[in-house]
This record gives sequence, structure tokens and C-alpha cells, in this order.
Amino acid sequence: MSLSIILTIFVFIIGLQIAVPYLVKRTVIFGVTVPEQFINNDNLKLFKKRYFVSMLAISIVIMVAFLVWALGSNRDDQQIVIVGTMMQFGVILISLSLYIYFHAKTKQLKKESKWTENLKEVRLTDLSIRSQDEMLPSYVYFLPMIITLGVICYTIFQYDILPNQIPTHWGPSGEPDAFTKKTPFTAIQLPLFLLIMQIMYLAIHIATKKSGIKLSATNFQASRNRQLGLRKYSSWFTFVVVLLVTMLFSYFQLTMIHSNLFSGMKFLIPFAFLVLVLIGTCVFAIKVGRTDKGGPVKVEGGITDIDEDQYWKGGLFYFNKNDPSIFVEKRFGVGWTLNMANPIGYFIVLIPLVIILLISFL
Amino acid sequence: MLIRIETESEIPIYTQLTNQIIEGIAKGSLKSGDALPSVRAFAADLGVNMHTVNKSYHELEKKGIIQIVPKSGAVISHYDSIDDSTMNRISDQLRPYIAEALVLGLDKEKLLELVSSLVDDIKTK
Repeated sequence: MSLSIILTIFVFIIGLQIAVPYLVKRTVIFGVTVPEQFINNDNLKLFKKRYFVSMLAISIVIMVAFLVWALGSNRDDQQIVIVGTMMQFGVILISLSLYIYFHAKTKQLKKESKWTENLKEVRLTDLSIRSQDEMLPSYVYFLPMIITLGVICYTIFQYDILPNQIPTHWGPSGEPDAFTKKTPFTAIQLPLFLLIMQIMYLAIHIATKKSGIKLSATNFQASRNRQLGLRKYSSWFTFVVVLLVTMLFSYFQLTMIHSNLFSGMKFLIPFAFLVLVLIGTCVFAIKVGRTDKGGPVKVEGGITDIDEDQYWKGGLFYFNKNDPSIFVEKRFGVGWTLNMANPIGYFIVLIPLVIILLISFL
Repeated sequence: MLIRIETESEIPIYTQLTNQIIEGIAKGSLKSGDALPSVRAFAADLGVNMHTVNKSYHELEKKGIIQIVPKSGAVISHYDSIDDSTMNRISDQLRPYIAEALVLGLDKEKLLELVSSLVDDIKTK
């Protein structure tokens, strides 16, 4: 069971890491802004291809090595999980190093080719763009919260029939493997964490909604499609993930109260959860990745988009004091990243995690 | 309506914003009663400081072009006739430019032609 879970995650991570250069925004190549006029440059295409091929080859080698090792004799679940997780981190680290390498090469190429010389930097926005934004309304997040409150209430009413040992951790098979003593607090601890997470996701949703819709002056249509697509699909994706997490946690809580519930399909539920989230991630990445890929565009001569490279430390971390956005589109990959110059972002992401950690260790 | 700014231009960004919003109204892309985006959203979409947008909105308010209403934000004002003080202000603003044009050798006919072609350009573009 652990092996199939690890392998499923593995294949998804590798697939996404390999495809990244083809899923990111078209005018940002390995974290470097390239004027629309030059994005089809042969060298740049070669960089993308080299990244793709190297990543694919290395990943296959690692995966085969891992499989051979895992199928060898006397490997227990624990070992497979630890080594498998390390391998996944390894793949991510390798993709990161390749990214840094090609980031430097692209930067150098941009400097040598003097692409931005004699081009006027222009920024564009549409006054009516906000009315075309199709992000989900914030109140839909109240639905999973109501479910959680329901589960908490139900637990309080059923407190007497709860077992004396409350599970606090579940293994890959969906069976609890760590317990704590029953108190009114530990009984509702799990749905309480869920509620904190739901509040965090709601705050992220609101902050994303307020963040800027960045349009490109040189390719208005493509950037518009991408920004609106990213916003729409990421709000759907986050909402589905929140719903799935709510279902999973509620399931754990209910099986704790009624241990015979869902018997026979216990192992299936966490696995189904994992597969659904991974498939959702892929659909999301591909959907967004394709929104701005179109035919060749005619670019008005003499202009280019604002070069934001100076705000992207190492091509990865966004730091712009002037930008009131809390989240911005990622440079490498599909999704959002924090504007590190805006402290509200830290509060939204870190405070709930700190609360959860504090509660679980106190 | 599209707003386009140049960050390296000599004209400050808030003035670029003000000028484009005014032109948008003159063209008819923006109508009286229309609301402008909130300062926060506008600044985020352009990736500029909120003070920049704020400054531009205050400039527009001072000229009487928009009204800043609590809660509903910046709304474009309604105007059907021009009053004397506004008339005087515009005339005072135009005067040095006309004098400059005359000094540089533009005669009255050419100047009127230029004004009329600019009006057409703003209205039709």
C-alpha cells in the first residue's frame, strides 16, 4: 500500500516538474522576463528542451533505482516511506538546480543579446478587468465550515460513547496509529484544526482576489486569458481541495466515534483522497498552462513589458514594496507566491500553522 | 477602457493616469456615473504604489471630474454646462501654451486647425 501511494505521488511530481517550462507564463523563461518579440528565440527553445530531456532522464533513473530497491527483500513500509519521500525531495532539488542553471544562462543571453535596449517599458491595465474576474465568491467557504461545526457539535453530543483513546495520527492504510487520552479538548482537536485550516484558506482566497490582475502591454489578450484563468481555476481548485480535506477529516472523526462505519473500504478513502488531489493538481496546472498559448502575436514596435526581474530575488522570491498585491503569479511553475515585501501574507500563511503546531505540542 | 503607463517617462505616473482617465471620459469610454476601480485594486493591477493612484484621484477630484463618495469610491461626475470659474481656469491653463505656439511661429489659422484636429482625434480614437 505505501509503495503504491509513494509511486503515485512520484509519477505526478516528476510529470509536473518536467512539464514546467511549457506551463509557465510565456514571457517568463526560467524566471527571466523576455520581451514578447524574442520568446521564440532558438537558444531559449534549446534551454527548455535541455531542461526537459535532462529532467526526464534523471527522473527515470531515480525512479527505476527506487523501484529496484523497494522490491528487494525485507523492506518494511516505514523504510519505503522514508526513502521514497527522500527521493521525491531529491527530484525537486534536482529540478531546482537545473532551474538555477538555466536561469543564469537565460539571464546572460538576455544581457548579451540586448533585447530590452531601445524598447520603452510600458504597463497596461483594463479598468473593466475586475468585472470579468470569475473567482468563486468568498461565501462558498462557509459551506465546509458549517460541516466542520456540525461535526464538532455531533462529537460533543456523542462524547460519552467516544473511546478512551483518541486517535491523533493515521497511517497510509487509513487506520489510526497514534493515540492520546480522551478529554473534551482532544475529542474535538481534529475538527478544530480543520476549522483553522479552512479559515486560512478563506483568508488566502480573499487576499488572492484583492491581488493585482497583471496584464501584458505587448500581448494583452494572452495575458488577460492567463490571469483570469489562473484566478478562476485556482479558486476552484482550492475550494475542491478544502472540500476534500473536510470530507477526509470528517471521515476520520466519524470513524473514531463509530468504529464500524465504512468498514471494509477504510484503506480506499485516504487513497481516493490522494488520487483526487493529484489529478486535480494536474488538471489545474495544464488548464492554466494552456490559457496563454496561442498563435504568433503581432507586437507593437518599440515597447516591452515592465522588466520585473529586479523584484524577483534569484528568480524565485518576489519582493516589491510598491506593489500592494499579497500574492502574485509564480515565476517558475503554476500558481501563486507571496509578495515577501507585504507582511499580511506572512500572517495569513504562518499564523494558522503556528497555532496548530502550538496546540499539538502543548 | 485600457490604461497604459510608461514608468521611465518624464511625466509622473499619477499625471499619466489622470490624463488618460480624462481622455477616456472625453472619448466616451467612461461615462458620468461610472465608478473607477478602488485605489487598492487599481494600484495592484498596475503594480504601482497606492499613493500614486490616490494622488491621481485627488487631482481628478480637485478638477471636479470625479467625486469621491464614501463606500462607493470614485465616481465620474455629471456635467452639462461649464461654470465661469472652470472656464477661467481652463483659459488660464491654455494661455501660456497658446503664447508659446505663437512665439514659435504658429499663426492663428494653423493654431485653430491644430486645436480642431486634436478635438477630433480625442473624440474619435
